[in-house]
Amino acid sequence: MRRKDDRGHRWTDRGVERAVIKIVRRLSPGFARKRITKKTRLHTDLGWDEWYVLRVVKPIRVTLHETLEDRVVLKIRTVGDLVRCVWDGMESVG
Amino acid sequence: MKAALAALLLAANAAAQEPSDLRRWELLVGHSYSSPRAMLQPATLTLEKVRGSPLYSVIDAGALLRGSLGSRMWLETGVRTRAGSARPRSQRVFGAMARAYRELDPVLLAVGAEYEADGGFDVQQTAGTAELTPLGGPPGLGTWVSPGVRLRWRPWIGVAAGGDVRPYARLSADWASGRVEAGVEGTAWLVHGSGRSFIKGDVSVGLGGGLFVTASGEVGRPPPRYERTGRMGLGLGFRLAPAQ
Repeated sequence: MRRKDDRGHRWTDRGVERAVIKIVRRLSPGFARKRITKKTRLHTDLGWDEWYVLRVVKPIRVTLHETLEDRVVLKIRTVGDLVRCVWDGMESVG
Repeated sequence: MKAALAALLLAANAAAQEPSDLRRWELLVGHSYSSPRAMLQPATLTLEKVRGSPLYSVIDAGALLRGSLGSRMWLETGVRTRAGSARPRSQRVFGAMARAYRELDPVLLAVGAEYEADGGFDVQQTAGTAELTPLGGPPGLGTWVSPGVRLRWRPWIGVAAGGDVRPYARLSADWASGRVEAGVEGTAWLVHGSGRSFIKGDVSVGLGGGLFVTASGEVGRPPPRYERTGRMGLGLGFRLAPAQ
């Protein structure tokens, strides 16, 4: 299945997942890369406080061309939730 | 049949986590609204009994209502109290505030207004405030240092302007291991050219259901009177923090 981001670039669900996990890994330099998966909890496992989680907004806008609302990002609990938010924001390709 | 049921459950779960289903407003209850760190610290009720004297109480509690104002902005409004019969009236504090946040990656800006009064409402002050914190940066800023070192910290700088102008800086740090949490928060103000500071900390053990046994302490000169205070206590704590 493929979807289009806001600039018309096409993404697969696996591609979105890989890109989001890469962003989260870059924001968690003290953690082993393999520890960060879709199931990783941002607050509980990585210890992100409620403001640190907002750091995902800019790289997602730059890399995946999707603009997430702060109120949505503030309530995201897992990497999987973040992947789903980005994927849901993309447009289905007929 | 099983596959269809599994697909239905999966779809229902996905729908339940749709961003459009997120509540626009949420209520948090904690130690104080003065900072996110203080909001995560449990609200406490401590009872003190010394032979020959009545039963004294110490209450530290705050509540915060938070909601969205737009894609990059949100609003908080709250009330707080530092009260109880163990504190002299001059050292009790009642406060209320409204604050709007604007995310400007790499920093977060908070602009608000706060009312504070002492226990007798003899000293009352209303001030506009502006605060800044970096979203991230050096190791431990806003996130655990590492999986083995569950310590994080966050600095704020700000200014309060009411009857006078008071620049201030705040540093908070917290640590967690299993059911045990500990935190400390220090604030320093420049009032009429001289410094005032106030530090409070706590160690809490979670009992489940948002309840904690909490040992807390404080020392320094908190607003609005900036009167010297210092105490330690052990009591019952409660926290309601949906986002965490």
